[in-house]
Amino acid sequence: MTEQPGAPEGATSTYVFAVCRRLDPAVLTGLAGLAEGCPVRGLRCGPLTAVVQHVPAAEFTEDAWQRRLSDRAALEHCARAHHEVVTAAAACGPTVPLALATLYRGDERAREALGADADRFTVVLDRLENHAEWGVKVYVPATARPPSAPASAAPHPGGGSAGGGAGRAYLERKRGLHRAREQHHDRALRTAEDVDAALTRLATATRRLRPHSPEMTGETHRLQILNATYLMRTERVQGLLDAVEGLRQRTGAEVEVSGPWVPYSFAGEV
Amino acid sequence: MSTVQPVPWETPGPLTGPIGVPLVDLLDRVLATGVVISGDLVIAIADVPLVRLSLHALLSSVSERVPAPWSDSGPL
Repeated sequence: MTEQPGAPEGATSTYVFAVCRRLDPAVLTGLAGLAEGCPVRGLRCGPLTAVVQHVPAAEFTEDAWQRRLSDRAALEHCARAHHEVVTAAAACGPTVPLALATLYRGDERAREALGADADRFTVVLDRLENHAEWGVKVYVPATARPPSAPASAAPHPGGGSAGGGAGRAYLERKRGLHRAREQHHDRALRTAEDVDAALTRLATATRRLRPHSPEMTGETHRLQILNATYLMRTERVQGLLDAVEGLRQRTGAEVEVSGPWVPYSFAGEV
Repeated sequence: MSTVQPVPWETPGPLTGPIGVPLVDLLDRVLATGVVISGDLVIAIADVPLVRLSLHALLSSVSERVPAPWSDSGPL
């Protein structure tokens, strides 16, 4: 391989989106991928097929990636483009997504590196056969409601309850609120654990993701207490959805389901 | 409270890329996961630390405190 320091233009790298067993090229038709004008295509690597695209090397250097991943719009564009290709490929069968920004100097290098890991890919592909990933997020109201009927029959604010006084009533109220908040948090934790335990029983594998803070969701009226994701056999998905409906009714919590996802969260575990 | 709210993808559908997958859910998966293989050459950009770093830059207010999203939910 000869260096071509004088001619960076026109040099291309090979971006790898995913690896699968069989791929119908038709599913990739029209996908933009990460570089306009370069087709997204299959690349045979022994028994496997990689989903790849040529990209201009000069636009995919480490510095360029740093900038791209630090810019919200650019990052979103990349993530969606990557996801679109991965998802399209998965229509043909089990698919292992590669980490964002997996790049090689060319098709030959990609083929070598992927071929060297063929055994690992085979294990993962076997594991993902007939499976998809389903995300489940659980929310509770952001704040505990003030105790409407305190257990200790607290004096009514402003009422002339004997032996009280404004200061004492105030403290009582503060304590009541504090207690309510603690109970709210305890209940929320239990709810999260209940939901996760119930769904874990149905899943082939499970992962807890970091819950999204209110700053990330932009929501102040509710708190995310569980952000989990489950690797589900296809025939168990309806069971998951039914269980979620039951949990909604039993716990009163908001439970959101998303899926099917290509099993991103379970592809790197082998 | 227990009324049915709109839920994304409640109905199992084909694995075609749903438009409007929430970005934050997408980043949970696309950024932090996938098989990391001995990146060639160009860069080991798939290194998780780098990606995490960028995610933090992106969502500068992301909390490090994993288990307690409500801990600073303010006064009641």
